[in-house]
Amino acid sequence: MSWNKVAVVGAGLIKMGELFDQSYEQMAAGAFDAAVASVDKGFEPTQVEAAFVATQRGTLWGQEGIGGNTVPVAIGLNGIPCTRIENACPSGSDAVRVGAMAVASGVHDVVLVIGVEKMRDKSTEEGLLSRAAAGHPIFTRGETAPVLFAPFATRHMHEFGTTREMLAAVAVKNHHNGVLDPYAHFRKEITIEDVLASPPVCHPLHLLDCCPQTDGAAAVLLVSAERAAEFTDKPVFVAGFGVATDHPYLHEKESFTEIKATRLAARRAYDMAGIGPDQIDSAEVHDCFTITEILDIEDLGFVAKGEGGRATLDGETALDGRLPVNTSGGLLAKGHPIGATGVAQITECWWQLRGEAGDRQVDMRNGFALQHNAGGRGSGVSVVNILTNRN
Amino acid sequence: MATRLLGVGAAAPAFRLPASEVAAAWGRGGGRGQAGVCAPDEDPLTLGWDAATRALDAAGVDPADIDGLWWGTTRPPFAEGPSHAVLATALGLSPHAGGALHAGSPHAGMEALVGAADAVSAGAARLALVVVSDALRPGLGTTAEARTGAGAAALVLGAEGGTAAFGARVTRSRPFLDRYRGDGETETRDLYDGRLFREEVFLPVVTEVAGALASFDVRSWSLPDPDGRLGAVVAKVVGASGNTASSVYNAIGDTGAAGALLGALSALDAPGLVAIVGTGGGRTTGITIDVETPIPGAAIVGDALGNGVTVSYMDVLRARGQLVPTGETIPMGVPPESAMFVRGAHEILQLLGGRCVDCGTISTPPSIHPTCIACGGPKLEPVSLARNGTVHTYVVNHTMPAPFVAPLPIAVIDLDDGARVMLQVIGDGADVEIGRRVTLVLRRYSYERGVPVYGYKARTVRTPEEVA
Repeated sequence: MSWNKVAVVGAGLIKMGELFDQSYEQMAAGAFDAAVASVDKGFEPTQVEAAFVATQRGTLWGQEGIGGNTVPVAIGLNGIPCTRIENACPSGSDAVRVGAMAVASGVHDVVLVIGVEKMRDKSTEEGLLSRAAAGHPIFTRGETAPVLFAPFATRHMHEFGTTREMLAAVAVKNHHNGVLDPYAHFRKEITIEDVLASPPVCHPLHLLDCCPQTDGAAAVLLVSAERAAEFTDKPVFVAGFGVATDHPYLHEKESFTEIKATRLAARRAYDMAGIGPDQIDSAEVHDCFTITEILDIEDLGFVAKGEGGRATLDGETALDGRLPVNTSGGLLAKGHPIGATGVAQITECWWQLRGEAGDRQVDMRNGFALQHNAGGRGSGVSVVNILTNRN
Repeated sequence: MATRLLGVGAAAPAFRLPASEVAAAWGRGGGRGQAGVCAPDEDPLTLGWDAATRALDAAGVDPADIDGLWWGTTRPPFAEGPSHAVLATALGLSPHAGGALHAGSPHAGMEALVGAADAVSAGAARLALVVVSDALRPGLGTTAEARTGAGAAALVLGAEGGTAAFGARVTRSRPFLDRYRGDGETETRDLYDGRLFREEVFLPVVTEVAGALASFDVRSWSLPDPDGRLGAVVAKVVGASGNTASSVYNAIGDTGAAGALLGALSALDAPGLVAIVGTGGGRTTGITIDVETPIPGAAIVGDALGNGVTVSYMDVLRARGQLVPTGETIPMGVPPESAMFVRGAHEILQLLGGRCVDCGTISTPPSIHPTCIACGGPKLEPVSLARNGTVHTYVVNHTMPAPFVAPLPIAVIDLDDGARVMLQVIGDGADVEIGRRVTLVLRRYSYERGVPVYGYKARTVRTPEEVA
């Protein structure tokens, strides 16, 4: 496979949270401004040749599920080509991948990837819980988002002895990281006892096992590597990516102790980057629920299958651990504005690879960071992107 | 040609409401006994399905061989709509099966029985299924409210075989209003004057019909018992030693169109002549059944009525749709009139799957699986899924908008034929665990804009050790 090398020369996001005072368009503009401002040698908005907008449910007026493809108009780039990417929870990850392919193919030299999501313009009942009534009238009845992951927790606990304390350790770690991230939705330390004592949401998951509903936006600027020097002397490169699909309905799953699509996507990304999981220095993975991160670090090959809970409790994925995971606070603390999530994760990887992550900075000895999302009903799609600071 | 009785089944709803709860809610003291009440996922159709499934099983009859379904209920789940077709399809009857839906008054139960018996004796049906079921919705604050119940009975009738034969029949009409619903009303009105009803209408007509049957050597009587007392009065008049319907009334209250037959089922467990009288809507009908040896299914009727969870008056009001939250509830994602239900009706109501001719894996539902979920093979042959299985994993959902009621257990179930399904589990989830055996039963999944949607739920099965 022959493709042109792709560099990330700018990345930024807005402070995540319940942004009742900002419109979808204002969030998008904020993220774009942050990305432009991050470019070391300066960047003119008119240099953007094409945009890829990740939005799972957003629109210019509410959450009707259309729109997003005219975001360039809202951020002052009227007229440029734009494609909306809707690929469930990995929408942002996939927009980065598709944007990278647009540059790698040689069609475009400068591409904007922007993820925007309004989660809180509608009430919790209408915006999120209404999923319980959506989909198949029988086979998905009552299926709110936690129902898509809690069965994995039940089975993982049954097969591997994973405990609620181990699940809680994921939330405690990510909330600690969130305290250090000025962009995080929640910036407050919590304890294992806090997680265990929080109200049940969907047994065996409790409130602090779940990510919040967060508004947010993030943007990255991708350019062909040969033009990277025009923008920065510290470029980060796309080393590899992988996408995989799997059955969307839970009753079709072969296993409730792995996300198969993640395993497949990771293998493709590692193959493309020419590395293995042992060369990853830091990872931003999909922790919509605590159990999800435990599955992720197993399916991404960071720990053996069944060891995710124990490894987390032992601190292997903490900031000072063997392989720091979700240094930004993850979805659990930073938030999960769906279309923006993957792009925001890429931003964290970009900072880590450039040594700009502040108090969250970890040792990037190998020079590789991994970013991952899974979703699509019962994790019907998973995306893995690998970035590097190696030339 | 005498119509024969091959098997019977009974069903009671999940909830039991103590009469004292209702009395206390209205500032009255006392209140004796209890009533059976449908949980939010039950109604006359699901109760009828439960009873019919048991009756067919007891009779050893394949549903596909049934020539017609005769169903009596005052509360067809669709006031105007496919009630009969939905029940017949969910029971696995042939699309060519006939029969009728009788409604309009509690007498509908006797009408269904007579209709089926006539069809068999006329040679129009070899095998007939009778379902009588009801879930009354009383006016709030009425004296009848506390004992207004729900229940179902089913009988498999045939031209031959069986261990009992239908005999005499008497019927009388007299136009009067007892308990009724006006057009467009949702709740049943109580009697205008209890003494007037008792002295001028009920006792004269019912004792006349029962008296006509008393000339036979009747061993057991099932007599109408709308208030737990009148049945005993009639029994005394006709010289009966007791009224088998009273035990049903004591267990689950007034079961409307199901009452007469449900009240008779326990008597079918011993040889002798059983007389059954049903009344309502100005009509009264009595029949006799000559039992030669115990009828299959009759022995376990008591079990079906005995179980039940005691609930509060608030639980009952919410389950009956008499306590509703303010504002809009979240509508079902797929309108029940839409194309998905045209494509999916049979796979939902009959639990169909597709078995891969290459690898044997079952994919379900068929409409979304043009290829095998395991090997991608393109050739799938239709199969009916197994109705029993084991919990592979599960959750208990605590956070949902109205109209959902938490906690809601949902389980991934490995069925005994190897198929895997994910379905809601009946109850609060306390008895759900990995490895738990379950059986699948028809339940009402949603009810909005006056339209019910039915599908299967898992019901946990207790092991013999747990029962002991």
